[in-house]
Amino acid sequence: MTDLILIAISAAIVNNVVLTYFLGVCPFLGVSRRLDMAFGMGTAVTFVVTIAGTLTFITHCYVLLPLDLAFLQYIVFIFVIAGTVQLVEMVVRKFQPALYEAFGVFLPMITTNCAILGTCLFVWLKGYDTLLKAVVFSFFNGVGFTLAIVIMAGLREDLTFADVPKPLRGAPITLFVAAILAMAFMGFAGIGTAQ
Amino acid sequence: MLTTILTSAAVMLVLGVIFSVLLIEANRRLAVEVDPREAEVTVALPGANCGGCGFASCSAYAKAVATGRADVNRCSVGGPPVAERLAALMGVAAGVTFPFRPVIHCSATADQRLQHGDYRGEATCSAAHVTGGVQGCTYGCLGFGDCVGSCEYDAMVLVDGLPRIDYEQCVGCGVCVRACPRRIIEQIPFKAEQMLVVGCANHDPGKVVRSVCRVGCIGCSLCARTEPQLFSIEDNLAVIDYDHVTGHEDLHAVHAKCPMESLVYFGKPESHHEEQLVGVATSEIADRPAPVEHGLDWRG
Repeated sequence: MTDLILIAISAAIVNNVVLTYFLGVCPFLGVSRRLDMAFGMGTAVTFVVTIAGTLTFITHCYVLLPLDLAFLQYIVFIFVIAGTVQLVEMVVRKFQPALYEAFGVFLPMITTNCAILGTCLFVWLKGYDTLLKAVVFSFFNGVGFTLAIVIMAGLREDLTFADVPKPLRGAPITLFVAAILAMAFMGFAGIGTAQ
Repeated sequence: MLTTILTSAAVMLVLGVIFSVLLIEANRRLAVEVDPREAEVTVALPGANCGGCGFASCSAYAKAVATGRADVNRCSVGGPPVAERLAALMGVAAGVTFPFRPVIHCSATADQRLQHGDYRGEATCSAAHVTGGVQGCTYGCLGFGDCVGSCEYDAMVLVDGLPRIDYEQCVGCGVCVRACPRRIIEQIPFKAEQMLVVGCANHDPGKVVRSVCRVGCIGCSLCARTEPQLFSIEDNLAVIDYDHVTGHEDLHAVHAKCPMESLVYFGKPESHHEEQLVGVATSEIADRPAPVEHGLDWRG
């Protein structure tokens, strides 16, 4: 149990997928303009990454490793992720049409979101050996992504009222904010085993 | 080695089949009902995604049409046939639509523009427009061909320092209108195959215009006196009111009267007065000569 809590905290906060590994920066900057959209994106990524993490773990454990095809890892993982994203797109379009409109191009772009492929690969690089660990790790990586993007969206919403110097308006100040946010998250470094 | 390749292929194949079945099933169960008219409208549109209608893509425009948020006659690529088809689909009257095509409000070739400066800056209109000093006229075409470069349909070519439009290729997307830093390209409704256009944008008094251009409009108002319903003089420049042009009137008399030859015809070439058509797709353009090397040489 302690293991799982450590994995969760480590994944969500200490080794935050966006702010420590700099994965998934594209949606992090692209969809963090409004709080509700950012939360929607975070939820979608969490959903996709949990399913993708589970499926890739199963495929890797029960298909690739027994057949000695570990080198197919990347291509199969991308395959699984793409399929999962398609599924999520259908679900969102059916049950959340407004969210589907708001996502626009970013929902299909989750397919190429490196945070998701990164998470699936980290499951192996970090040596999580049970399905439960893999699922918890994937889910809390998604939670970490949501946390980062929601904080970012909140900051950017407040930023619209700030008197930003002209040359820094738009993308530059956003990158500054992201950098400071990443530095703030460095304060968590070393908590837990941070595997 | 061979077994590895074969097992890899087999694994990928099996995974592919599993995912296909899964997604097909999901697609069937989670199908969302789209307004069937939207799909029909999408098919009816040309699919050029040029943005000429003001929407980001053809599908965005189709959606707007299907929900009644946009008029059916906005597609300039498709023109009247598409407007009619959309009107039939949506059950509304199409109204009279004309294809909007660009015309250039400058008809002075390189040697007709006077007071050339020694411009050695970047060879683009936008740069030359900012620095100035390329030629006397501060309103007219600079001749570096920003519009020609912007055209995605190969419909423009630079001849004698003046862009010519090949109306067989042009779809009226309006990219060239936005590319021109001097704002002398305008989209007008082509109510006839050839439209009479004021080939000048210079608002200066006649004397000043004469000093910078051989063919610029001097605001003599001869055209306005001959055809008062269509022509007017605004700020020393003749303006044609295209709302009142029907496309059937014969304007050759006015065209012949213009002392500065600023009135020019734009449109598809027609044999009997081809010599008058400055802006038409002439045989030269059909042959696609090498574009004039725009640099310093032709400015003297």
